Amino acid sequence: MTLAGGGAVRHRPPGNGALRSETADAYSLLAPSVLLVLLCLILPLCLMARYSLNRYSPGDMMVAALTLENYARFFGDSFYLGVLFRTLWLSLAATLACLVLALPAAYYLSRLKNHSAKTLLVLAIVIPLLMGNAARAAGWMVLLADKGLVNEVLIHLGILSDPVRILYTSSAVGIGLISVLLPIMIVSLQSVFDGVAESYEEAAMSLGARPLRMFWHILLPMIMPGVFSGSMLCFVLAMNAYATPVLIGGPSFQMMAPKVYEQAIKVYNWPFAASMAFVLIVVTLTLTILASVALQRRYGKV
Amino acid sequence: MASRVATLRRQRLVVAAYATFAVVLAPLAAVIWVSFFEDKIIGFPPSGYTLHWYANAWRVDRFLQGFLLSLEVGVVATSISLVIGVPAALALARSEFAGREAVHALLMSPMVVPGIVSGAAIYMFFIEVEVASELPLAGTLFGLVLAHTLIALPWIVRLVTASLVGVDRSLAEAATSLGATPRVTFFRITLPVIRPGIVAGAMFSFVVSFGDLEKSLFLIGPGRTTLPIEMVNYLEWNIDPTIAAVATVQTLMIGAALALSDRFFKLTRVF
Repeated sequence: MTLAGGGAVRHRPPGNGALRSETADAYSLLAPSVLLVLLCLILPLCLMARYSLNRYSPGDMMVAALTLENYARFFGDSFYLGVLFRTLWLSLAATLACLVLALPAAYYLSRLKNHSAKTLLVLAIVIPLLMGNAARAAGWMVLLADKGLVNEVLIHLGILSDPVRILYTSSAVGIGLISVLLPIMIVSLQSVFDGVAESYEEAAMSLGARPLRMFWHILLPMIMPGVFSGSMLCFVLAMNAYATPVLIGGPSFQMMAPKVYEQAIKVYNWPFAASMAFVLIVVTLTLTILASVALQRRYGKV
Repeated sequence: MASRVATLRRQRLVVAAYATFAVVLAPLAAVIWVSFFEDKIIGFPPSGYTLHWYANAWRVDRFLQGFLLSLEVGVVATSISLVIGVPAALALARSEFAGREAVHALLMSPMVVPGIVSGAAIYMFFIEVEVASELPLAGTLFGLVLAHTLIALPWIVRLVTASLVGVDRSLAEAATSLGATPRVTFFRITLPVIRPGIVAGAMFSFVVSFGDLEKSLFLIGPGRTTLPIEMVNYLEWNIDPTIAAVATVQTLMIGAALALSDRFFKLTRVF
């Protein structure tokens, strides 16, 4: 085709030829990115799926096999089941708490008329989101330690006589997770609130609906896509949290992500690490799909 | 009466909103405050304030090395993902072709697959490649950059595509039909339109790469550790004003990058 020549592009003949060359152009523009993702993400994931069916031997590391024994070991061991359930329960609780806390904040932010105040608040929410979980965990460590700010203030006020242990408990990890995930939820909800005209609320209120009723029947169905995508993101991130459980939970607090790391890097048991990673993915995916089906039944397509 | 009820409701909303903002900002505020404490062992209230720890942070070699490595990896990964991501975003936004949705989902997938899972997978893959070809990847700078490019790419594609939404593509076609070469059309017409998306995309890519913990955990090598990992390793054993100063500097940098990118691309539109 003559179109391939450099200068000829300016006189594209109409019709099929131009369309085909446009498709070819698009593919060549996309090729490097697509290759990178295929080679460095999809292929490794497939490889890991295959490894999860291999057998571990302490001497040679990994023996090729087709066995489900790694999965059987995981689901047969009450320790690992406990780790999975702790991860699940904390992730669900943190996601729900984020939703409850983020709703008023996102609504307030979305209805804020003052533009510079709005930008400032959005920055204040996005900076912690991107400052890294290690730095945020450090903050909670300072606040929640035995001699941390919270304990010192409570003792000073006479509410406590001795410091209570907060750091290295599951409630501390819960608090840490909530503060890590809140920005994501606020930003997701704010964008859907932005898309709902205030006149809907005014109409409902002027017809005598109380705010909670108005929220439940008018606003909530309209913001459902944001509620869903925000909750999903929070849940997935909580299930895979690493820094928060390691730092705020301490060495004896077990969640899934640190266990996967430990098996892959410290124990060097690749098949088991791979199978745990896939349990994590499959459980997360199953729950999000179930949630989306349930929500679609209630609210229509979200 | 009705307006008093409305005011009360409004006040309750404001209190609830700011309580939530407080939960988000509390750890940040705590870290910044503690970084000025005089005593090495953190206690409340502090016996005095000092700037000493900021000077000290740079003298701790592991933090300086980690900072430099994170900076290097972030800049290189962002540059590569710009080079490959901007053309991809243009193709996605402008052309109709078979499998467009699938390609878009594929390019976004690094954002969706959890870091700990993809990190483990990439690590095993790199070691396999190394065993097969003797090409060192795991624990090398090249391997780390490759993984970070993967993290950065979706942000570039997402923000550049977003900056093209609503732009009339006949603009570029008009330029072409008036005799502009593709190169001229790109630099004079397309680039100015997508510049906000490129700047914001680059900022976010850099920030996300700079802060990445989970993927990098698997890919660092001996004597080659990124700042977030150094911070976690340090925090596992001790917490003192030095690490608080490091965290504060990192936060200020990220804040500056975001405030800058907000001027080009409203932060409220990013997510």
